[in-house]
Amino acid sequence: MRYGIGFKLGLLLATFSLGAMGIVGYYAYASSRVTLLDAAQRDMLTATHVLGRSFKANIKKISDDTLMLARLPTTLQLAQEGIVTAGHQRWLADTMTAMMAVNSEYFQIRLIGAKDHGLELVRVDRADNTLLNITADELQEKAHYDYVFNTLVLKQGQIYLSDIRLNQELGSHAGLHQPTLRVATPVVDRTGKVLGLVVVNLDLNGLFDRLKSDLPEAYQLYLSNRFGDYLIHPNADQVFGFEQGRRILIQDVFEPVAGLISGEKTSMASIIAATSEAPLGLVASFVRLPFGGADDQRFVILGLTQPLQTIVESTQQAGLTMLRMIVALAALALLLAALVSRAVTGRLKPMVQAMALFSRTQVVTLLPYHRQDEIGLLACSLNDMQATVVATLKALNESQKNLKHLAQHDSLTGLPNRALFEDRLQQATAQTRRAQSHVALLFFDLDGFKSMNDRYGHHVGDLLLKEVARRIRDCVRTADTVGRLGGDEFVVLLSYVAHAQDAMRVAEKICIALHQPLALDDQQLVIAASIGVAICPEHGHDAQTLSQHADAAMYQAKAAGGNQVRLFGV
Amino acid sequence: MRYPFWIAVLLGLVFSWPAQAVPILRVLAWPGYADSDLVKVFEKKYGVRVEVSYVSSDDVLRQKINANQGRDFDVFAANTAELQQYMDQNMLLPLRLANIPNTAQQLPRFREVHGIPGITRANAIYAVPYTYAETGLIFDRKQFKTPPSSLSVLWDPAYQGRILAFNDSKHNFSIASLLQGGNAFQIPHKNFPALVNQLVALRRNVLTFYTLPEESVALFMSRGVAVLWANYGRQQLKLLQEAHADVGYAIPREGALAWLDCWAITRGATNQTLAEQWINYMLEPQVSEALSGRQGLSNTLDAERSTQATDKIIWLEPVEDGPRRADLWNKLIAGNRPGQF
Repeated sequence: MRYGIGFKLGLLLATFSLGAMGIVGYYAYASSRVTLLDAAQRDMLTATHVLGRSFKANIKKISDDTLMLARLPTTLQLAQEGIVTAGHQRWLADTMTAMMAVNSEYFQIRLIGAKDHGLELVRVDRADNTLLNITADELQEKAHYDYVFNTLVLKQGQIYLSDIRLNQELGSHAGLHQPTLRVATPVVDRTGKVLGLVVVNLDLNGLFDRLKSDLPEAYQLYLSNRFGDYLIHPNADQVFGFEQGRRILIQDVFEPVAGLISGEKTSMASIIAATSEAPLGLVASFVRLPFGGADDQRFVILGLTQPLQTIVESTQQAGLTMLRMIVALAALALLLAALVSRAVTGRLKPMVQAMALFSRTQVVTLLPYHRQDEIGLLACSLNDMQATVVATLKALNESQKNLKHLAQHDSLTGLPNRALFEDRLQQATAQTRRAQSHVALLFFDLDGFKSMNDRYGHHVGDLLLKEVARRIRDCVRTADTVGRLGGDEFVVLLSYVAHAQDAMRVAEKICIALHQPLALDDQQLVIAASIGVAICPEHGHDAQTLSQHADAAMYQAKAAGGNQVRLFGV
Repeated sequence: MRYPFWIAVLLGLVFSWPAQAVPILRVLAWPGYADSDLVKVFEKKYGVRVEVSYVSSDDVLRQKINANQGRDFDVFAANTAELQQYMDQNMLLPLRLANIPNTAQQLPRFREVHGIPGITRANAIYAVPYTYAETGLIFDRKQFKTPPSSLSVLWDPAYQGRILAFNDSKHNFSIASLLQGGNAFQIPHKNFPALVNQLVALRRNVLTFYTLPEESVALFMSRGVAVLWANYGRQQLKLLQEAHADVGYAIPREGALAWLDCWAITRGATNQTLAEQWINYMLEPQVSEALSGRQGLSNTLDAERSTQATDKIIWLEPVEDGPRRADLWNKLIAGNRPGQF
């Protein structure tokens, strides 16, 4: 067991809390990313709508300027009569100049007559830093232009917005080759006859530069016509490709815009896949802006994009904050895990120590059992177990002792049996060799015991044998050993005998004591014993020899009539 | 330890071997000229691999061919006006028509190669015509009892404001010159003032000068246009018919300008025979018909789809002075009055 339960528990808790933290963190990060992206798309879409509305508001304002010019009496007079007096022409040109002076996005304002193939009557051009009143031979015929023939069919107060094109009309000064929107309205006399038109050329880039100045730096502006040809693009090479015979279409890059061009949707915001300019992709929103009169189906697509980079950066910031929080919480979780595992194992440890001590020494340590939880229960159980083990061990020792006693003693008399006696005899003889002392071995045989047994029964025989044992024991010292070898064979080992006479005296004493009558079951019985004595080391150095000699002395005593003591060899 | 390396080397050799062994034909063409299904048939038939690159303008074509002295491509398609300069630069290989037997199936107009300027030089043939489009007149059948027969219809005051012309300097001077009986591509200096006046008259008579085919179709449908000078030829006719316009198509007697795209082989071609087989394959009826069916372009085999043999077709050639025409045209289109050029 290399890793403790505390370590494992701590590891489990730490892993779980880290995992939970990680999952929560990841989902929080992902959802915050989604939220931010959604918010970015909504913002973009709102910005695009606002931009579109500003664009329309500006168109409306230009239209109003155009309408105002078309309603001036001088305009009507010039359109009606042509340039009769230079004064009228100059007055209208001055009015147009004043208007252009305050509207820097106007490239050109003109009054064009319906007669003479659309000959310009009054024309003010923006040149580098000045406004030019174009006159005489420089005035051109414009009847073949869409803004002329389309406006001449309108009624008073109506506005024609041209498609946005590059102004290719040679001689138009600052506006030449510039993206231009022409806003025109007819000049109509009282009878409703269209006499000409007033047209304002609008600098599209100038207008959008102004509109875009309110937007964040990162936003990029796109404008396309109804076919998808770029009119405004961050990269100037991409615009007005159709004027040079090559089509560069917005829907080829921003595929979802196709849905706006086909009219399925009027606005959309989406994430556009990565391009070389925006390696992480773009958030883009596009709006379809109806354009021109209500009945013509023209529109432009206005779009804003923002590199995903800028949004992702803020998401990453949020992710980083979250990561920091997770790290802090994880540290807290680790600490908590350590504390919890300590609290659990801290209470287990004393129990483990107590058990170890108990198994080593059987010393009972009382464990704290007053807790109401599993630990308290465990302590209680361990206490019970210790008590049970101790009681069992005690019983076991007792019975072992009893068994040992039974194995070494005669069950009838309680005297050592042959095995124990021989053992003691051997020890005693071995001791005499070392201690230069004497021991005496006395062999007994009860005279006529067998016939008495047959006559009075085994019961009386047993009582007799018990009485014999008691009398022999009464005659010897406690240090001496009395044994019963079986049947009526008794032996006595006298230790530390000084002389053979001492042993003989004891033997005589026993002989006399045995010969005393005894009352058993109302019977007066008298028995006698033949006793053989052998002394060690005189009569034998070892137990076997000594026993044989004591036995031989006993047979001599029996042969001499019994109830007497014989020392071996006498 | 080293086995994986040697096995990789061996596998690499095994897989690259067939690729190296198969001849490669490098084709430079316009979109629609070599569709992948047609290319696959050729690859299978000759056991070769074809690499097709596309161009979308004459300028890009010139750039790609000139990039490496023509060694980057074996065979390419260009129009007759462009081919002349490649011949001037000695960039083309003369063709062996015996290796391109399908030329015998072409319409007589295209078999008479010496009648087509820009594909022959010093009795050698350098290009084989493949597809063309002529600039005919599209007219509203309701406004014309008989089809217009002359370019002069564009100047006819009866149709003032109902005529569509094309916004292009070269072509407009060419048709003005043709109308005066002159050469379309070589206008003498002295003729220009008269042509300018002629074109001012055209400007005053037309509704407008269009640029894109879609634009012409929209104007034709909404403005009651009577006649249209069709720079995009039958493609434009097809668009109008799809818009349910009741239109006819006529080749004016002065002639219709036409671009003619031809296949030519670069001097840097690695396998001339294979390149000739490619040209021959392009003239297979099913391949040429696929081009017409899919792109609306005329092919050189099919008499039914194409112009009549009697129609006067004027293949485009380089003009005498493009910048001058452009300069004058810019003033014309801006609306300068006579005397202001």
